[in-house]
Amino acid sequence: MHNRIKELRAGRDLSQLELAQKVGVRRETIVFLEKGKYNPSLRLAHVIAKYFGLAIESVFLFADEADTAPAEPAA
Amino acid sequence: MKRTVLMFVISALVLATLGLWALKGHLAGNILEIVQAGIVLLVVGFAVFLGLSRLRSHRLGEPGEDELSKTVMTKASSLAYYVSIYLWLFVMYISDKTTLEAHTLVGAGIAGMAVVFVLCWLGVKLFGMKNA
Repeated sequence: MHNRIKELRAGRDLSQLELAQKVGVRRETIVFLEKGKYNPSLRLAHVIAKYFGLAIESVFLFADEADTAPAEPAA
Repeated sequence: MKRTVLMFVISALVLATLGLWALKGHLAGNILEIVQAGIVLLVVGFAVFLGLSRLRSHRLGEPGEDELSKTVMTKASSLAYYVSIYLWLFVMYISDKTTLEAHTLVGAGIAGMAVVFVLCWLGVKLFGMKNA
């Protein structure tokens, strides 16, 4: 599974620590997520997507969807 | 925070016990006991590292434990348990081929389990859990 956390974080000029504090995890968790070394729980995926104002599937993409999925804001 | 303090207290007690053990002259020239003391220091060092890491998180306003750290612990524990079965099979195998006493072999097995856990934890941290 791929994700767009790094790109979305950079777009909002947030550090990894700031994002971690906003979504209630340790900075290391954000590092692992950005490196693709960890797939988050549904709860954490929801919290992160909600923070960015997007649907979960716009932030977290399965490998075969990574190049094609549109980045749509949540309705 | 309570768990972090408890980790430091237990580590200090283990170190104090090790110190008393060394004062009684157990470490003087006995390779096996020096190795055992080294393993105890490794495990205490690991506990202190985890404790300091949690303190740092508290200072930065992060949770001391989150879903990643809990998952790493769970994954490392299950992997260590699996590897430990083979470790004990090995200990049983060498028990007939060595002159070491039973309590020494059991001590070596327990110390081996601690080392296996630390190695599994490092492995999970290093390689991540893409498909967990």
